[in-house]
Amino acid sequence: MALTLLTVFAATILTNNMALNYLLGMCPFISLSRSLRTASGMGFAVIFVVTLTALINWPIYNLILVPTGTELIYYIVFIIVIAASVQLVEMIMERFFPPLQAAFGIFLPLITVNCTVLAVSLFMVIRDYDYLTSVVFAFGSAVGWIVAIVIVAAINEKLKLIGEIPAGMKGPGIIMVISGIIALAFLGFAGVVNL
Amino acid sequence: MNGLWRDHPIFSLILGICSALAVSNRVENALAMGAGVTFVLLATALIISSLRNLIPMRVRIITYMITIASFVIIVDKFLKAYFPTISESIGAYVGLIITNCIIMGRAEAFYVQNKLGQSLLDAVGNGLGYTITLVIIAAVRELLGFGTILGFTVMPDGFTPWVVMTMAPGAFFVLALFIWISRTITGMESD
Amino acid sequence: MMVLFVLILGSVLTTALVGVNSVTAPQIAKNAEIKLKSSVLEALEIPFQTENVEQTFSNNVKEAEKNGTAYYIAANGDFALPYEGAGLWGPIIGIMAMNPDLEEISGVTIMQQEETPGLGSRIGDAEYLEKFAGKRFTPQLNLVSPGTADGETEIDSISGATMSSKAFVEILNAEHARYQSTLGGS
Repeated sequence: MALTLLTVFAATILTNNMALNYLLGMCPFISLSRSLRTASGMGFAVIFVVTLTALINWPIYNLILVPTGTELIYYIVFIIVIAASVQLVEMIMERFFPPLQAAFGIFLPLITVNCTVLAVSLFMVIRDYDYLTSVVFAFGSAVGWIVAIVIVAAINEKLKLIGEIPAGMKGPGIIMVISGIIALAFLGFAGVVNL
Repeated sequence: MNGLWRDHPIFSLILGICSALAVSNRVENALAMGAGVTFVLLATALIISSLRNLIPMRVRIITYMITIASFVIIVDKFLKAYFPTISESIGAYVGLIITNCIIMGRAEAFYVQNKLGQSLLDAVGNGLGYTITLVIIAAVRELLGFGTILGFTVMPDGFTPWVVMTMAPGAFFVLALFIWISRTITGMESD
Repeated sequence: MMVLFVLILGSVLTTALVGVNSVTAPQIAKNAEIKLKSSVLEALEIPFQTENVEQTFSNNVKEAEKNGTAYYIAANGDFALPYEGAGLWGPIIGIMAMNPDLEEISGVTIMQQEETPGLGSRIGDAEYLEKFAGKRFTPQLNLVSPGTADGETEIDSISGATMSSKAFVEILNAEHARYQSTLGGS
């Protein structure tokens, strides 16, 4: 392939960022960008779930669905795998990291509807990646997403120190502006991925 | 018809933005996405509300998922067959309607507890509100980014397109502006 | 009880899906065929309207096959060769139209690509594809910095889309070599 794994990884963070280029995974972006700590915590959970689901969905699609001609239902299968993975993560956390689980509360189940997770699986199918590339792509995409959300959250936290934000802008409004500026900045990375 | 403004999904409930931004680059894409979401909302309302007394508590989320996913597949096939060019533009994002928070949210908060008639009305309201928002954002982005609306050239000849509007940052900024204006008008405070 | 419910619901929905699929599948296949034919006509620069693609195609283009490779020939002897290869982000598929000597390109179209929107995907822009007309594979196309292409074997890369441009030209070179060996001196 014309593609090295390192290129895929770097590109998913810089030039093909899930949040800043493809505008995915915005729901939690908005609710979690208030605090850096929740943002980064959610980010790590997302990395784990995204990589896990890619690991599982690829074989299911290519080794079970395609050979039997049942790709028709792949959306359904993927989303169920994602829901199950999230349940798994929740159970593991409950068992081994109870304080972490308490801190996350409702956010974990929300990962199920985080578009990034499903999008990674969908893209991997559309672009016809092989297994290793899929996993690297999934991991990189999730890292790219957490990089974006952490930057936005960090700026958002500090914004209060600078001045008064107009009432209509508080919350989602200002998050969108910050995201837009960061997305603009990341456009500067075009062409950097030239290994 | 609360779904249209006050409880507007995009702002006050901050849901469903996921797919919204990516397909807001052209009005025809926004219309197609809005229609798709409205269809899935209606179908979900129909199924979930009709079966609401039969769905076992513990599996309701899975139920929503397979219902929504099935109808999304139907929308996808429909677009691929009868509107191939639009399908090519928004292709992957149709699949992401499954994770559109609005649909799951309404199913859980409303359809599973209310009668069929009311659920269907709610679906129409939310779907319409969502579509209108998306179309407005798309109109701004297409106008400034391409100089056209629905493919018809609107801007005068000397107009240089604002490339930023055709890309991600443009979407963020237009949405931010929109949130600001609508929240200031409706006097809604942030949560 | 729960499992039963999910299974029944799942089966009902899947049946509905299979039904919808059988209704739409023929149309979807037809769309793909029209897309292919339009692409062939476009690469060969044969004018057509969306309504009469099939008609124009059957009037002007013949399908042919040699050594297991399928391709198309226009009335004037130009070849239309389907190509496919790995782009940076996914497969790049399209049609490459060549003069009867199998050396000079008369047109290139891209039917499918997954390159980065706004950057790599610009290889599909009309202005870029037009640059390929008249270029020759002797023995192959060479990618050079944007704006410095000089002569019949050099083609500009797109700034900000170097890897996609590189992948694209490599695909064309590889596919051209493949057709040369299978179609030989026809």
